Amino acid sequence: MKPGALSRRIGITTTVPIEVIYASRRIPVDLNNLFLSREDAPECIEEAEAAGFPRNFCAWIKGIYGALKREGDIGAVVAVTQGDCSNTHALMEVLQVEGITVIPFAYPYDRDRVLFRSQLERMMEAFGVEEEEVRSAVDELDRVRSLALRLDEITWKEGSVTGRENHLALVSCSDMEGDPSSFARKLEGMMEQAREREPWRGVRLGYVGVPPLASEIYDYLEELGARVMYNEVQRQFALPYEGVEWWEKYLFYTYPYSFQYRLQDIATEVKRRGLQGIIHYVQSFCFRQVEDLILRRSVGVPVLTVEMDRGLRLDARTRMRLENFVSILKRL
Amino acid sequence: MEGAAVYGIDVGSRWVKVVCREGNERKFLGRYDTAEFYRLFVAPGPDGGVLKRELLGIPREAEVVATGYGKARVGGAVRVLPELEAITRGVRALTGIKDALVLDVGGQDSKIILMEGGRMVEFAANDRCAASSGRFLENMARVIGMSLEELGRYWKGSLQLSSTCAVFGETELIGLMAEGHPLEEIAAGVNRAIVQRLWPLVTRFASDRRRELVLTGGVAYSLAIRTLIAERWGREPLVPSPPDYVAAVGCCTPGEE
Repeated sequence: MKPGALSRRIGITTTVPIEVIYASRRIPVDLNNLFLSREDAPECIEEAEAAGFPRNFCAWIKGIYGALKREGDIGAVVAVTQGDCSNTHALMEVLQVEGITVIPFAYPYDRDRVLFRSQLERMMEAFGVEEEEVRSAVDELDRVRSLALRLDEITWKEGSVTGRENHLALVSCSDMEGDPSSFARKLEGMMEQAREREPWRGVRLGYVGVPPLASEIYDYLEELGARVMYNEVQRQFALPYEGVEWWEKYLFYTYPYSFQYRLQDIATEVKRRGLQGIIHYVQSFCFRQVEDLILRRSVGVPVLTVEMDRGLRLDARTRMRLENFVSILKRL
Repeated sequence: MEGAAVYGIDVGSRWVKVVCREGNERKFLGRYDTAEFYRLFVAPGPDGGVLKRELLGIPREAEVVATGYGKARVGGAVRVLPELEAITRGVRALTGIKDALVLDVGGQDSKIILMEGGRMVEFAANDRCAASSGRFLENMARVIGMSLEELGRYWKGSLQLSSTCAVFGETELIGLMAEGHPLEEIAAGVNRAIVQRLWPLVTRFASDRRRELVLTGGVAYSLAIRTLIAERWGREPLVPSPPDYVAAVGCCTPGEE
């Protein structure tokens, strides 16, 4: 398909070089965020199941599918075909059959620069933009990212930003809510609000793994006296790497590469932020559940693994686990 | 307040257990079906529910401590205690043991607690599926038409259940019955399946086999489960009496400070 024929709104399934999309005067839409922000999110999952997605299949993928169908005006999707999961592959196959343009993007497993560059060039070609044009989009996006990262720093250094706020600010960096300048104002407002608050004195937690479907996990933990001061994957969406070329940030970005590489980032942040425990979120039916055993062997602080499927609210079983975990951490 | 009566209520997923402690004396007041308990003893209130103390014979001014999945439902001057904390205290109160590995197999899930110096220092819980819980045994017993007690008499044989799911397990049993396998063999297969599912939890903390393994929760009544656990652990697990009241007892036991 010619670049000119691409829809104005472009779906993304996880963080990809959105500089390219913005440079082509199109709007990236993180389909995960789109799905969760819809009032009919549960029905999105049902729609996917009605179309034939199995019940024992990742709820995120089903939600993305349903949301995309219901949205209607997203005619093209940049799909991460390496560095995410095989479930995404299956989703892409289905979308193609249903007439959606799929632009594949592969993160090379070994973070190879040459391979990465060639992926980037293919993506620029698909959007019909030159690197010079892309560079013009970089400054503004980096400015917004640095605001989000400042908010992240306030979270653990000053303790005045809640776990949920930290999560929302960072997770939205994947697409900048489709409007970087308005998103920047939102971040500034959040920081303004935080200034008036007392510092957190309770348990300090880290959250590792894909973002939760049930974001009330943050509020519930705070009710129990524990705050998430590190959202591992969400923070990566803000590309916390300075002093490198704009595109190199995507080579440092940990999520699509090996778990060992992610662990280095986790270990550094656990120490730097003085975290007392880790919540490891795993999605039902996700291969990342297996990474849990590596995390447990390496991280050096207590780990609680919580597995959730499609519920947008915390269930009693998860609450029980969180409550007991926090009660142990309070005594340690 | 030494001597004043304290009531402990464990609002479990399947049964609600009520215990009263007055000084050193402990009374096991009863076990109620959970759905029935909500219907009979919990009045709707602004923040969930209010416990109808008078119907349960609990004096208005008495201290009440609740635990279990439904603890938030029994409002009205009721203190709550995290479930695993309650189990730890209950084990200490009923057995006097302070260092142990506690395996609790409840109505809808199972947990392992590492207890040191009378306190919980670590725990792990099973994954989302209810296949290693009392609910699994109940469902399977119903399918093969046995009481839970009868199901608990069989553990020998080689019949393997391939399904680890409480729902698919049912389908598999129906198939096995249709193939003509004796019910006793199927029952033994069910018991072995649940212990097999529990074992990864136990082995997570089982580096020291000298540690006492304590088995709590209603599933501990099953002779087959106890025997199969003993086979794997190398000796009999210690079962507090009564095993399903452990968390309720823990509710009326002070913490180890």
